[in-house]
Amino acid sequence: MRGLLLRRLAQLPLILLVIYTITLALAWAVPGNPLENPAGRQPPAAVVEAMKRQYNLDSFPRFYTSYLTSATGLDYAGDLVSGRLAEQREQAEAAGVAAPPRYIFDLGPSLKYEDWRVNEIIAGALPVSIVLGFAAILIALVVGLLAGVIGAVKPNSAADIATLVIALIGISLPSFVVGMLLLIVFAVSFSLFPVGGWGTVSQMVLPAVTLSLPFAAYIARLTRMGMIEALGADYIRTARAKGLAENTVLFTAFLLVLSYLGPATAFAMTGSFVVEKVFNVPGLGQHFVNAVLNKDLFLIMGVVLIFATLLVLFNLVVDVLYRWVDPRIS
Amino acid sequence: MLKLLLPVLLLALGIGITVATDRPDPPADFTFVNRGDVSTLDPQRMSWMQDLRIARLLYEPLVRLDVLHENYKVIPGVAERWDVSDDQTVYTFYLREDAKWSNGEPVTAPQFVYSWRRALLPDTASDYAKLFQFIKGAGEFFEWRTNQTADYADRVGDLSPAERRDEVDRMWAETLAKFDELVGLKALDDRTLQITLKAPTPYWLDLCAFAVFSPVYEPLVAQYERLSPDTGQIKIEFGWTKPPLTVTNGPFVLERWRFKRGLFLRANEHWWAKDTLDIETIAIPSIEDPNAAVLAFETGAVQWVSDLTADYRVALLRDKQAFYEEHADEVARMKAEGMDQFAIAAALPDDPRKHVHAVDNFATYWYNFNCLPTLTDGRPNPFHDARVRRAFAMVIDKKPIVDEGNRVGQPVANTLIPRGSIAGYTSPAGLKCVSDFEGDPEGLAAHIEEAKSLLAEAGYPSPDDLPVIELLFNKDSGHDLIAQQIARDWQRYLGVQTSLSQKEVGVFRNDLKNANYMTSRAGWYADYADPTTFLELNRTGDGNNDRKYTNPAYDALLDQAKFELDPEKRMALLSEAERIIMEEDLPMVPIFHYISLYLFDPNEITGINPHPRANQDLYLVDVLGDGKGRDEIKRIKKDSDDVSAVGSQN
Repeated sequence: MRGLLLRRLAQLPLILLVIYTITLALAWAVPGNPLENPAGRQPPAAVVEAMKRQYNLDSFPRFYTSYLTSATGLDYAGDLVSGRLAEQREQAEAAGVAAPPRYIFDLGPSLKYEDWRVNEIIAGALPVSIVLGFAAILIALVVGLLAGVIGAVKPNSAADIATLVIALIGISLPSFVVGMLLLIVFAVSFSLFPVGGWGTVSQMVLPAVTLSLPFAAYIARLTRMGMIEALGADYIRTARAKGLAENTVLFTAFLLVLSYLGPATAFAMTGSFVVEKVFNVPGLGQHFVNAVLNKDLFLIMGVVLIFATLLVLFNLVVDVLYRWVDPRIS
Repeated sequence: MLKLLLPVLLLALGIGITVATDRPDPPADFTFVNRGDVSTLDPQRMSWMQDLRIARLLYEPLVRLDVLHENYKVIPGVAERWDVSDDQTVYTFYLREDAKWSNGEPVTAPQFVYSWRRALLPDTASDYAKLFQFIKGAGEFFEWRTNQTADYADRVGDLSPAERRDEVDRMWAETLAKFDELVGLKALDDRTLQITLKAPTPYWLDLCAFAVFSPVYEPLVAQYERLSPDTGQIKIEFGWTKPPLTVTNGPFVLERWRFKRGLFLRANEHWWAKDTLDIETIAIPSIEDPNAAVLAFETGAVQWVSDLTADYRVALLRDKQAFYEEHADEVARMKAEGMDQFAIAAALPDDPRKHVHAVDNFATYWYNFNCLPTLTDGRPNPFHDARVRRAFAMVIDKKPIVDEGNRVGQPVANTLIPRGSIAGYTSPAGLKCVSDFEGDPEGLAAHIEEAKSLLAEAGYPSPDDLPVIELLFNKDSGHDLIAQQIARDWQRYLGVQTSLSQKEVGVFRNDLKNANYMTSRAGWYADYADPTTFLELNRTGDGNNDRKYTNPAYDALLDQAKFELDPEKRMALLSEAERIIMEEDLPMVPIFHYISLYLFDPNEITGINPHPRANQDLYLVDVLGDGKGRDEIKRIKKDSDDVSAVGSQN
């Protein structure tokens, strides 16, 4: 177990480096100038060129290395050693104002939202995405397992077909349709929940439910499949003969679901673009889309690296759980 | 079984911890939805309307505009009074003693010099640097610094790191000296600021009231600037605009700003005129989805939606029209009494249908003609000939575009500058278009014949002589519908072939800049209350002259107006200039003037104004019946009922 942990954690930086290189190369190739504000007034061309130089946007190798040294904390370490950090603090103190915040792993400025560092954007959006994603997966687990068991206990019964149909709808209906329907019914007609925003528990219910549907449907199908397979297995027949309780079978089916939970949680946390839009949730998902549209290089890199880290970590957590739950796997 | 529950418990724990650490904003006196998310709160860097709106709450420039006055009169701000020299080029501002920053420190004249210098430095890349170039020597300084850093960029490769640092320090010292030498901007003492202009600029005070001219707190901002040895420029970071770091001098202070979640503002206890405020707190939640904004208004979560773009705005407008027709007599009577549109709405009986408001904007939507002799691919350009442009402009049917395409009934435009938007300016008649001949088929036929004969005169007697006419526009915002309608008119009345070219906005802008188009959509929201804010767009060589239009007579009129001290004569010169481009040369054909749609209950909030310039100073808002402030409807003041002039204007 410890070997697994160490090996995976040691792989993480390497994985991130590969992802960083590929993503940056792709994002760099996107046409358009990230410093341009298409609807606003335009500074003269010479100024735009100079700005590009400031952000190293005029040279791929320079951008590549400067981002790397800043994001890995090398810049911070350098400033710490050279005393520049302390100097900055003294200067600010002398002027009677707060010193500019510095981050160890500095993911750079957002080019589109000038006043924000990518660190701040992610720090604000990640907790929202964690809650939304976790809540959605939680709902999906409960609903999906229940529906799956109902279907598996009496295959091809009316109850099974009903869960199948509902699961199909859950997978196929786009979340902007589900979200809008839920809004109209529960927020506008019955005023049970607020129409949008984030912060209170009642504001979280509708987006979490909307986001959970496809995951719930998938978990239901996995559970059903796993259970039907297990119910037909020889060892179950033996176990039954020995008088084992029926619900133990659930355990076997759950293993399938567990391996799905890792990537599902990462996706639920970051792939909630549509749900965020409909319910006005300030999560991480929107940045995946908007950052690319705005060619906001620093933000693209920031969210991609965060997503990659999450994916690796959740898979690791699931692998550990897996081994703990099922001693057969080592 | 416990093992099965563990993932569930882990998830629940994760939720619990994050929810517990999230603290929502308290309820505010006034809550509104801005036009879009704030891009920056650095006044010298901003150009978006939603940013400028917040800046007017957080910062106070030398002077302000009284936006509840029909003509947006200039009133004192940080400056309590000012003198203007006889030749109208030297302005001396006297700063009030009680002008304070939100940390209690005084606002001083040198801070204005620092802030305006920021705007003028190419390092800052201010979108509005050009407006500061009305100051004597400012344009030269901007160019000098641009060249200085460009030159450094060329030779930086030969320098060692230590040499680079010394060199950028030396360059910066030189820049400061150059600024003092060239630019007509001086702090005579802590409370006196003297500005020397290049030429008389009658709208200079209006510009000084623009949020980009606000001061920033030098001790704070300077912490975020450092000289970059790689580029020789000041490298700026912008984190100082956020609480708790930020220091501002306006009516409100920013208490909380959460990315994509919203802003929370509180009245600034150090603001000199804080006793005039009728509200204490303002919340600006970030709501991007247009439908969600309307739902938030309807459920009472927000009191003002400042930009109604939801698709069913069309239905809302229709309902409002029906409501006004039910009360046609009252509305007519109140209009005759000279009441403004919001005061009329407030006086009508309570009804949700009156909550939507259409407000004219100081902005125009038009079609560009490329005026260069050849197109970028080398073909001759028919639109080089003004007669061709005029013919194409004449046959556009503008009314259906606003009625069917946009469906919100914007005013049809025959001039570039919205009629009646600038006090003292008389718009030319403009060129007639198809829509002007409603119910007059004979007149229309003659009008079309005239257009065709113009084409014939220009050497295109048959539509087949013309190449396929390309219409360029960017995706989204319904530009495609408008392009289709215009193309249809050109096909129908002139018989020409057209092709539509839709591009992504970045590519679209690039094509415009490089004149890589035949005709294209365009639009402009004006910056200050003077015809030149529109007319300069067509000056030879102007950075925004995407049409590459050039007419020496037109440029000469603008130049003459520049040095004309008599306001009446000056306006006449500018009106003549607009006549040239709107009746004869047609480098562009105006289609309609933009409008904004607001959503608010005029019996719930007051202090919003219907002026086309749409500067909303939200510290003037009063929530009616909340027991705070005066709780009475604020009417738009008029010149005629002005008795006590404020401030001293020369």
